Amino acid sequence: MPRIQGVDIPPDKLLHISLRYLRGIGPTTALELCEKVGVDPMRRAKTLTDDEVAKLATIIDRDYLVEGALRRFDGGNIQRLKEIKSYRGERHRKNLPVRGQRSKTNARTRKGIRKTVAGKKGVKDK
Amino acid sequence: MSRSIKKGPYVDERLAAKVAKQAGNNRTPIKTWSRDCTILPDFVGTTFEVHNGKAFLKVYVTEEMVGHKLGEFSPTRTFKGHSGGKAKAAAPAAK
Repeated sequence: MPRIQGVDIPPDKLLHISLRYLRGIGPTTALELCEKVGVDPMRRAKTLTDDEVAKLATIIDRDYLVEGALRRFDGGNIQRLKEIKSYRGERHRKNLPVRGQRSKTNARTRKGIRKTVAGKKGVKDK
Repeated sequence: MSRSIKKGPYVDERLAAKVAKQAGNNRTPIKTWSRDCTILPDFVGTTFEVHNGKAFLKVYVTEEMVGHKLGEFSPTRTFKGHSGGKAKAAAPAAK
């Protein structure tokens, strides 16, 4: 089982698919990586030699922002928006959609599971 | 979609002129309605009074704010909580 960037262990999938199990590596970057290292993206991840794994790891480490570092980067950006008390920061703080979507209905991804309010129209009082 | 690079950032020319005029000395707040004006690096340290449709809110521009728009710092809506439950009104504020 190849192991890249700490905990990530992509299994018997095609190499370019298994690389995508790393946060920050999508379809494009996965193929790009294969090309840089010079391995066939259609090979199974388990057929990689230690040498190739090491190569992949160094390139990812050097050129890409992945996993924890990426998460910290994103978190820092959100933190910045909050600190300068911009509108977007405020939306992050309130866990509401940030990019101008409606929040009268829907927006469940941000708002989380429905919290029923007693006495509201359409809700039967018990 | 973001604005084309060719055009450069949108800046209210008259506002930029006002900032340039008071550069360094007397930093009195500048009243403005142009919420859509991008904050330029030159604006850092200036205080604006940005209209939110009702009142002028003081916005002190820091370095971090460069590239944002003035309006982002002058909220136009006031949310005072939903009617009814007092406990519920307090809960989101505590979050």
